[in-house]
Amino acid sequence: MTTIDWIVLIVTLIAIISYGLYKSRTSHNLDGYFLSNRSMPWGLILLSIMGTQASAITFISAPGQAYTDGMRFVQYYFGLPLAMIIICIFFVPIFSKLKVYTAYEFLENRFDGKTRVLTSFLFLLQRGLSTGISVFAPSIILSSLLGWNIYWTNIFMGGLLIIYTMSGGAKAVAYTQQLQLIIIFTGMFLAAYMVVNMLPEGIGFTDALKVGGSLGKLNVITTGISDKGFNWSDQYNLLSGIIGGFFLALSYFGTDQSQVGRYLTARSIRESRMGLIMNGFVKVPMQFLILLVGVLVFTFYQFNQAPIFFNQKQVRNIENSVLKDSFQLARSAYDRVADQKKIVVAEFLGAKDGDNELLAEEKTSELKILQKRSDSLRSQVKKWIGSSAVNGDSNDTNYIFMRFVVDYLPVGLVGLLIAIIFLASWGSIAAAINSLASSSMVDFHRKFTRKKESGENEYQLSKWYTLGWGIFCIVVAMFTYNIGNSLIEAVNILGSLFYGVILGVFLVAFFFKRIKNGNAVFFGALLAELLVLTVFLLTKTKPEPILKIGFLWLNPIGAFGVIFFTLLLNSFFVKSRKHKAPAH
Amino acid sequence: MQSEKEKPPLFSSWDYWYWLVVFFLILLIILFYLLTQRFA
Repeated sequence: MTTIDWIVLIVTLIAIISYGLYKSRTSHNLDGYFLSNRSMPWGLILLSIMGTQASAITFISAPGQAYTDGMRFVQYYFGLPLAMIIICIFFVPIFSKLKVYTAYEFLENRFDGKTRVLTSFLFLLQRGLSTGISVFAPSIILSSLLGWNIYWTNIFMGGLLIIYTMSGGAKAVAYTQQLQLIIIFTGMFLAAYMVVNMLPEGIGFTDALKVGGSLGKLNVITTGISDKGFNWSDQYNLLSGIIGGFFLALSYFGTDQSQVGRYLTARSIRESRMGLIMNGFVKVPMQFLILLVGVLVFTFYQFNQAPIFFNQKQVRNIENSVLKDSFQLARSAYDRVADQKKIVVAEFLGAKDGDNELLAEEKTSELKILQKRSDSLRSQVKKWIGSSAVNGDSNDTNYIFMRFVVDYLPVGLVGLLIAIIFLASWGSIAAAINSLASSSMVDFHRKFTRKKESGENEYQLSKWYTLGWGIFCIVVAMFTYNIGNSLIEAVNILGSLFYGVILGVFLVAFFFKRIKNGNAVFFGALLAELLVLTVFLLTKTKPEPILKIGFLWLNPIGAFGVIFFTLLLNSFFVKSRKHKAPAH
Repeated sequence: MQSEKEKPPLFSSWDYWYWLVVFFLILLIILFYLLTQRFA
């Protein structure tokens, strides 16, 4: 990084921290600290919801995802707008009416204390670990790309935001997220503009789409249906996006305190609803545009030499291993295919411009063959990197966009894009730490301590909880580095294992009014969790998985599992009560 | 938070907003489908 890039990075980060501290003044009680005195307008709610959901990985990983797998990942978000509607109709009015601090507080009101504690505990476990990973994931990428020390990167990634999050609570989180998103979108727009600008002369945006499309990267809508019928293990298609994505979004926005805590800060139900509805409008187009940047980067690399593997650290490792000669051969072959592709891409665009559809089709076929060859060479290199000879991380999707940024973007913009990684991380981590503190304080501390604390004391304690969770997340990030990538995968899966069950408890609470038995819901949730874990384990059997389903389907399984077991147990409890009841 | 029966902006009922979200999603899916057909 140049001095100018460093200046841009440091100034941006200091500006955010200062702004967060400036906006930190709030009343010294739980209402002020966790709910901003319920004073936020819908615009801030919208940006806060978006800033909480969009982590650094969203901006780093999504373009890489489009580069490797095309744009079909956008379908993952199709269920989100529908989930927003359900939350506006059913969740928001009840949370608001009961004036809860956390979503789980409502469950004690509806069922009993142990159901509240169970769901809150699952939330703390899942969110605490995944936030630690959210600190680690962008840190390891920046550390690999720029040669930074991973421990210090973790501390800066997870530590600086604690300053304003601890000081100003939910209010500081929301205001900084607003500024962060403005900077993030400006940076991403500039990056997209620069990619198109750096394409060879005479090749514009539409040409870039034609090239990306001809190589299968504009596969925005896919059905998941093949000759063998519907593929249940296919992660991203129209059906899994709408159904699986709906349940995932419903549980995330409706029952995860890191999101519920954002719209509870609204000054009225109207403002909460408008924030959520607007999120339903903007999320899919926003994700589409981020993925489009990945397609543009892919097209850029059809005219410029792309690395065979984007994580340079792993490239250095393989170059120093027994596989170095094989790797050199593969790299030379990959470069030769890339040279051939450049010629065919130019011929393809010439045919398109001259309206020669027959020639364009012929060139598309040639391009596809060449792309297949380069994909197979990349796969071979990935296999080698993952093998025992190198023992490295064979997935370079998260490095594609940032490698492009560091190698090709002009001075100043590199610093801004790296700042964006920090800001996106801070936005989601700050909201997560704030929600972990609120759940610890309200669902556990307040519930289990007999002594009634004053507002000022609760405010001070909440600050300590915020600091404690901030440190916990950094510690998790440090351990992740020692343990390796297997933990990242495990924690990513952890969300899907618990989200459906938590959602199921809330669905029973909202839609099955006649069920009042806390035991039925509590044990129903435990059985459903057992079901989800069994299904998950059946997808992991070796050598062949017994069940082949994508992880998104675990959410509806968990949710419907809770409903099914609760109804079953409830009827059992009702019958046994009738038997015990004395005859009149 | 204030009253539950607050009116939404622009429309007389929240239902209109909800339908608008659904129609917008359908429109996006159709546009994405056309884009896929056109370029892929």
